[in-house]
Amino acid sequence: MKRPLPLALAFTFGAVTLAAGAGRDDMRPLPFHSDAYPKALAEARSRDLPLFIEAWAPW
Amino acid sequence: MRAFVLTDPALASHAGRFVWLDLNTDETANEPVLQKHEADALPTFMVVDPKDERVVLRWVGSLTVPQLEAFLEEARATLRGVGKAASPEDAALVRADALYGARQYAEAAAAYREALAKAPTGWPRYSRAVEALLYSYQSTDAYAQAVALAREARSRLAGTPSALTASLGGLDSALELPKDDAGRAAGIAEMEAALRAAVADATVVVAADDRSGAFGSLLQARRQAGDEAGVKSVAAEWAAFLEGEALKARSPEERAVFDSHRLSAYLALGDPGRAIAMLQASEKELPRDYNPPNRLARAYASLKEWDEALAASSRAAGLAQGRAKLRVLSLRASLLEEKGDVAAARRTYDEAIVFGEALPADERPVKTIEQLRKQREKLLAPPKPRE
Repeated sequence: MKRPLPLALAFTFGAVTLAAGAGRDDMRPLPFHSDAYPKALAEARSRDLPLFIEAWAPW
Repeated sequence: MRAFVLTDPALASHAGRFVWLDLNTDETANEPVLQKHEADALPTFMVVDPKDERVVLRWVGSLTVPQLEAFLEEARATLRGVGKAASPEDAALVRADALYGARQYAEAAAAYREALAKAPTGWPRYSRAVEALLYSYQSTDAYAQAVALAREARSRLAGTPSALTASLGGLDSALELPKDDAGRAAGIAEMEAALRAAVADATVVVAADDRSGAFGSLLQARRQAGDEAGVKSVAAEWAAFLEGEALKARSPEERAVFDSHRLSAYLALGDPGRAIAMLQASEKELPRDYNPPNRLARAYASLKEWDEALAASSRAAGLAQGRAKLRVLSLRASLLEEKGDVAAARRTYDEAIVFGEALPADERPVKTIEQLRKQREKLLAPPKPRE
């Protein structure tokens, strides 16, 4: 669990969180769709593959 | 962990086994899917069965590359039905995972407890079950049970990344116990010592954000103890750790990952000025990112340099969209309140609420807007009479 940041707390600035490093998408070896749930779900259905979701924030 | 774990080339072998999706929770366009697949904390990882959109496996918090690989394998096995009836503990775990996936944390806790009670020594899913049970307890305010679990699991998890997780969850939970709880002081002392040992154990590979998060909890423990010297000491250690990690960064983006925690450490040290040059550099290097000027606003406000703080906040507001804009405006309102300008703080909350309500209905972050209303109401409440 490693001290995930509850979203309710995340809204206040004082909460401790480590930024996600939004700029490194180009270095990821996995072919992520970004912010495109319907498209990713349709692809998962057509390829009969499970859908992996990462929920993150850039702060 | 996004900048480090998900960039690991070792994960390439999994590329064709899943369809991969990342959801930026700041993007209001993601609101409908986030209502369907809610993330109570960040980061959250889910594997979804595309047939019925059921979350078959959920992981809350960051993880290491081996933990992520194990998570992926277990998700595939669950979908194939492997292990369903292999053993009583695995059957209980499958039930627990389904409940955890559906965010039914109280029921999930009972099933995880059952799985752990039935599991033999050396059960390979022990650490994952403990982490999920710990989070289930914390999500249902079952803090005494969380401390007891952390105490019980600590020795079995020694030498693994989960040892840090257990101590961290144990300490956070002990700090949440009612002040008059008979076991609170002993729980905090034990978990604080355990967490210190886990943080210092350099042989265990954990993500930098896990280690950094541990410093945040250690600092909170000292703060609650009223130990100002202890707070400063932990903050100094934390700052040194983060500065060391930032030096290893291969790009401005990787270095800026540590900015938020470094700012928190510098604020705890009573030295917000130390954050200014760092954040100015990040703002220059990442000119489209609202975070550096937003953090600068906080740092300048702590120095009571209000003009600089509000100017930085305006730059951040100009870059932020959707929920991020609400976050920027919320911070600005709290800074104005700190400054003593209640009328301007109220106007800023109003601006944020109007902005949020103007978003399309299916993208509107209803809970966030509600929180802003509460903050505004709190601001309007007359001060309590002194006793």
